[in-house]
Amino acid sequence: MLFTIGPAGDTAMRLTFQEPPSPHLTHLLLQLQRTAQAHFLDALSDSVVGYTTLTLFFMPLRLQRDQVSAWLEKTARSLSDSKQVEATSNKEAVVLPVFYDPAVAPDLTSVADDLGMTVDALITVHSATLYFAYATGFAPGFCYLGTLDPRLKTQRLSTPRLRVPAGAVAIADQQTAVYPCESPGGWRIIGACPVTLFDITATPASTLAVGDSVRFEAIDEQTYCSLGGQL
Amino acid sequence: MKTLTLAKAGIASTIQDGGRLGTLQAGIAPAGAMDPLALKAGQYCLGHRAGEAAIEIAYGNIRATSSHDCSLVVTGAPATVLIDNEPAPTQCIHTLRAGQTLTIGPPSEGVYSYLHVSGGFNTDLVFASRSTSPREGIGGLHGGYLRDQDVIPLSDGASVSDTYRADPGLCKIAQRAVLTLRYVPGYQYDELAPALIQRLNEDHFEVTAKANRMGVTLNGPLLQTGVESLLSEATCQGAIQIPPDGNPIVLMKDRQTMGGYPIPGAVIESDCARLAQARPGQRIRFAACTPQEADNIRWLEHHYVETRLR
Repeated sequence: MLFTIGPAGDTAMRLTFQEPPSPHLTHLLLQLQRTAQAHFLDALSDSVVGYTTLTLFFMPLRLQRDQVSAWLEKTARSLSDSKQVEATSNKEAVVLPVFYDPAVAPDLTSVADDLGMTVDALITVHSATLYFAYATGFAPGFCYLGTLDPRLKTQRLSTPRLRVPAGAVAIADQQTAVYPCESPGGWRIIGACPVTLFDITATPASTLAVGDSVRFEAIDEQTYCSLGGQL
Repeated sequence: MKTLTLAKAGIASTIQDGGRLGTLQAGIAPAGAMDPLALKAGQYCLGHRAGEAAIEIAYGNIRATSSHDCSLVVTGAPATVLIDNEPAPTQCIHTLRAGQTLTIGPPSEGVYSYLHVSGGFNTDLVFASRSTSPREGIGGLHGGYLRDQDVIPLSDGASVSDTYRADPGLCKIAQRAVLTLRYVPGYQYDELAPALIQRLNEDHFEVTAKANRMGVTLNGPLLQTGVESLLSEATCQGAIQIPPDGNPIVLMKDRQTMGGYPIPGAVIESDCARLAQARPGQRIRFAACTPQEADNIRWLEHHYVETRLR
């Protein structure tokens, strides 16, 4: 597999694979991340897996960038050539209940109209896919899930909303996600999930991690409310 | 319990230390003092060796009283200090007696001042840091900006302490007509149009009022990339992010941890603090530097700071 290595600012190095995102690539990046953490220990200040990237942040007074890039070069090459990439998550797919209803999803009807399908068909398609968690970040507990059924591919809002409520289930391009907390956002909201996705007092704090599988399950209003959902 | 009561909290004061490590994948920004040098100067002045937190004050204007005698120092943007309405000399260590009122006025230049109290603030650690991340609602006293009448616990060690040989005046205020921000080009540098890179490197920009702990938006020639978004990847401090409207945003301590906008490079850590202390209207130019030059700047600064602070 082809990759490049270069600086991300003055205290991080980024490895970028020259191929489209895939669960296999994500598992490889996760394995590289674990190997890097075990190798550099606390001389690494942080590390982040993105769709096709691994960014290693290093303590500049303890670790030289050349050491980081040499290690990345060697380890990425041997890992990507070997066939021994392990799936990290043996856990079963996380099932997230979603109340798909205009009462909590301001864009549900307009998205269905734009796509030329009924709301019921949209719900069926969105909840039939087994999604893969490609990346986390943006906000605490936010997880980028792919790949959306091509029939649901939509544009983002031209003007992002200043406030998207916590629990909003949204789609954009080929991705879907649940907003874990209230934040600004330009994705189109098609449902609401009553499950808390980020809790600072829990271990781990985030329900979803990179490499997880996720499925959405349609629920009715009563179930939504009984799970703590707000109308 | 020893406490500091804020009669007046200022417009955007937060408790900050050096920030968090290892939380980016979870989507939690590192936070931490916008001017790490000013934070360090205050820590050294009071003999703090355990990364004690300070109150980061944007544009001054706070009033506080302490329940016990303590030593304090104000670093960063130089602001007038009054104790019981009596002017106290700036840039030195003060004694605040129990019940006396401390007033910190507006700074004459710069943005962020830091109030350090002997022993440090004793708020809860969240992921091993006391830094406040208002967006995530974590850290600090209650996860947000400090409010009038907040009562902040001080550590038991808070007392009138010995003076240490350190320079409280160390901070990152640039007294320059045009502030040069050195940046390390990233992998997208070569993929962006040469004309755009030329504008970035040769034209002048200006700090706008959209400047806060998340990022600093600049005004100048529009940098139109024609790219709406890329695959999301980790952001780093100082990243020069170019959204579709063409006005670059330099990402700071409370940045979102992932981004998908084009990023030609990232401003080096040393100059990020200078940008943090720059007020709206400050003129800016960018200068590309190699990673090796960035390392040399860091080593020089590290050596200088250790010399001035010990």
